[in-house]
Amino acid sequence: MKNVKSANYWQVDHEVRNIFGVKGITVLPSPRAWEKFGWTRKWFEKKPKEGYFIWVKKQVDFPLATCITIATPKISQNLNNLLVIEKGIKAKAIVTCNAAENKLCGKHRAKGKLILKDNVSLEYNHFHKWGEKDFVSLDYEFILGKNSQLLYTYQNLFPPENLQLKTTIYSNENSSSKLNFIINGLNSNIKIQDIIFLKEKSAQGIARLRLVGRENSRIEAISKIFALAPSKGHLDCRGLLLDRTAKISLIPEIVCQNKDAQITHEASIGKISEEELTYLRMRGLSEEEAIDLIVSGFLNI
Amino acid sequence: MREILLKIDKLKVKGSGKEILKGVNLQIKRGEIQTLLGPNASGKSTLAQVILGNPKYKITQGRIFFEGKEITKFFPEKRAKLGIAMTWQSPPAIKGVKFSQLLARISTFGGSTSREVAKGVEPNLLEREINVDFSGGEKKMSELVQVIALNPKLVIFDEIDSGLDIKRLEKAAKIIKKELVDKKVSILLITHSGAILNFLKPDITNVMVQGRIICREKDYKKVLKIIKKYGYEKCKKCKLLAG
Repeated sequence: MKNVKSANYWQVDHEVRNIFGVKGITVLPSPRAWEKFGWTRKWFEKKPKEGYFIWVKKQVDFPLATCITIATPKISQNLNNLLVIEKGIKAKAIVTCNAAENKLCGKHRAKGKLILKDNVSLEYNHFHKWGEKDFVSLDYEFILGKNSQLLYTYQNLFPPENLQLKTTIYSNENSSSKLNFIINGLNSNIKIQDIIFLKEKSAQGIARLRLVGRENSRIEAISKIFALAPSKGHLDCRGLLLDRTAKISLIPEIVCQNKDAQITHEASIGKISEEELTYLRMRGLSEEEAIDLIVSGFLNI
Repeated sequence: MREILLKIDKLKVKGSGKEILKGVNLQIKRGEIQTLLGPNASGKSTLAQVILGNPKYKITQGRIFFEGKEITKFFPEKRAKLGIAMTWQSPPAIKGVKFSQLLARISTFGGSTSREVAKGVEPNLLEREINVDFSGGEKKMSELVQVIALNPKLVIFDEIDSGLDIKRLEKAAKIIKKELVDKKVSILLITHSGAILNFLKPDITNVMVQGRIICREKDYKKVLKIIKKYGYEKCKKCKLLAG
């Protein structure tokens, strides 16, 4: 495996199928990291049963890749993940969680702590693809050091029956976070909660939500920013309802505890414009094709 | 004798509960250029939208034929695939979708020829979102490229000339001539001004007032002169009045 340019972790059900680190990047199952590195106990809270630990100590020019899959009916995963990036490193992560089949009725619970030390830049692309009977619960915390930057994109176009998504950002001095949530609701109950704490001066945070409600979907999103210091934040929450059995609820909340902070929000829920639909149909697209094109544009952040 | 491509027979149409078209008759032959003049709110754009099948309008009487086949109840996409295309007067913006994406989807040439045309017309439009922050002129050019991409048999231009400066108007007319007229595509030009007619020289000029075509004349210059002199209201009393 010499000269292989990757650092990755692949888990199916409870089994680690592939784990690979390179010089400067440690990749371990979380329970092993708990035993080997005492300092990780601060972040794990209690001894983890499963999940990954990735410690980036050196700049690399390839993305970190993780994949967690459920493949057995009624499987229940309970993951604790920890990603630590040392000072001044620029990194990219591609994170995939999925179901190998459609009707596994599986459970995927994941708690994640992502520590970005000072001057770190991280682009974190998080993809979910689930079966229609799965239950998924995610609780991720990002801790941003001074001058660090986070671009987090969560995309879920194949939702489970039940999805609970909690994302919390703690922003230190002069750090910035951009969160994008792109979620397609179909026969699913989805609860989203994202919170950005702008703790120190000159911190910036933006959360963008693009939510599509198709048949029998219930989406409830609470998007919050707390400004505790002179900082800037913005919430941009948009929903698109495609079916009369769908319901979207958007609650943006901005809390300001510093007179020099500037936080704003916008929220809207709409349906597809008949005019746009007719326009595209006159270009030869069927009604279904026209809706797909408009929705793809809506989800394109 | 040239074959009749589009035939509209005693068409009455309602929009928002109000009668807009009150018995329109129109025939366009293959390769023919016709123009439709008329004051604001006379029903010109409604006629264009109804020919393309906009479900917003309700046909209460009359029929539409294309190449001898009745299409009155066809969906818009079916009409587009038969070869009927139109440029919109005020096209809607479609956020997040690039103009090049739409061209690739609609083009019967697989996107390449229309892409070439687009590059020649407005190269900066291709990577922009459809009609988002397009200027008036850019919208018209984008519409023109799209109808060319559809490889149509009949194109209805709904005020393609409004908002275009003289240079762009000349450019648009040249493209229409090269890509459509020279390929024997039939054209119905809805316009307020005569400028574009001087470039494209219609075979027939129609005048619509209050939901009816009241004039059908070969000499567009003569019609324009009368409208300029007497206005549309007096067209009703004109000796060229259509039977």
